[in-house]
Amino acid sequence: MSGHRLLVWDLPVRLFHWMLVLCIVGSVVTGQIGGNYMVWHGRLGLAVVGLISFRLVWGLIGSTYARFSQFFPTPAKVVAYFQGRWQGQGHNPLGAFSVIGLLALIAFQVGSGLFTNDDIAFNGPLQSLVGKDFSDTLTGWHRQASNLLIALVLLHVGAIVFYTRIKKEHLVKPMITGWKDNAEGEPARGGGIVAFTAALVVAAVAVYGASGAWLPAPPPAPKTVETPNF
Amino acid sequence: MKFKLAVAMLSLSLAAGSAVAQVKPDDAIKFRQSGFTFMAWNMARIKANVDGTYNKEEVIKAANAIQAIANSGMGALFVPGSEKGKGWKDTRVKPEAFTDKDGFAKVATAWVQQSNEMAKVAATGDAAAVKAQFGKLGETCKGCHDKFRGD
Repeated sequence: MSGHRLLVWDLPVRLFHWMLVLCIVGSVVTGQIGGNYMVWHGRLGLAVVGLISFRLVWGLIGSTYARFSQFFPTPAKVVAYFQGRWQGQGHNPLGAFSVIGLLALIAFQVGSGLFTNDDIAFNGPLQSLVGKDFSDTLTGWHRQASNLLIALVLLHVGAIVFYTRIKKEHLVKPMITGWKDNAEGEPARGGGIVAFTAALVVAAVAVYGASGAWLPAPPPAPKTVETPNF
Repeated sequence: MKFKLAVAMLSLSLAAGSAVAQVKPDDAIKFRQSGFTFMAWNMARIKANVDGTYNKEEVIKAANAIQAIANSGMGALFVPGSEKGKGWKDTRVKPEAFTDKDGFAKVATAWVQQSNEMAKVAATGDAAAVKAQFGKLGETCKGCHDKFRGD
């Protein structure tokens, strides 16, 4: 059964994926180093807010294989996959778990990160909205979840290696070019410029909200910032 | 410099040793928390000056305060019995701080070193150098938080 060349991943999905890779690697590295790199940790976090928001909207109005409804791993699909009966394109039912798990965990990481403080010199942009105690709790969760995220990413990469070496299915190339060779099925459709613009607007609003730029400015510092000599 | 380091190491390893008055665990936790909290104010001052208008004298005051705390021999406050308990609030210290003495001394020594350097750089009034050193100092805070402070 020889198939044809099939468009599976639209350009926004691919751009999202690789930008997210860069941001996550950057976030993990800057978060581990700390110090002045925390400034970049915060910036990368806001970028991830934008990326995740975009992807969530794109999962509703993007092209065929970008949609959550297309790849949502129902029990029937998962059973069929394990019995080798699953036929389809896009995310297979196990890959769908990977996608949903990573998206959810990353959403949790950026969501909690907005309210963190490190008791050194960094506060998440929305930290002032919650009390110190809750901020400390969220900071703890944020730190613990980072290990889980690293583990999930390694599992994700490990699965790709497994599919490439054992199952002889190349997953990386389609995520770069968008095209899958020797495939049966319908090419990705939909997700035009209107949908893209809508997703972009939602992402921009999310980043603005997360940045805390709308918070009332702190009271202006007094003219003399000097403390007395006692 | 070398001498200060040696003193810091010694005070850590001896903990509540001979020359140090025995501190009750509850008090020890309070002193610890007070020291770290007071340091937080001074860290925030340096940050405010680095991010906003730079005032040399303010940064010197803050950096000297941090240096003084770092060199005060706070290691002595990690007395037996203060692994758990309430000072101003529940301590977040991990048991490893009491078992992994070498590891604890290592992160603490790095902190003392960088706070000495912080005070030195602050005295020059070079805002860019202060910013860089402030980052390095912050990394040593994190070095201990990550290993010896619970979430």
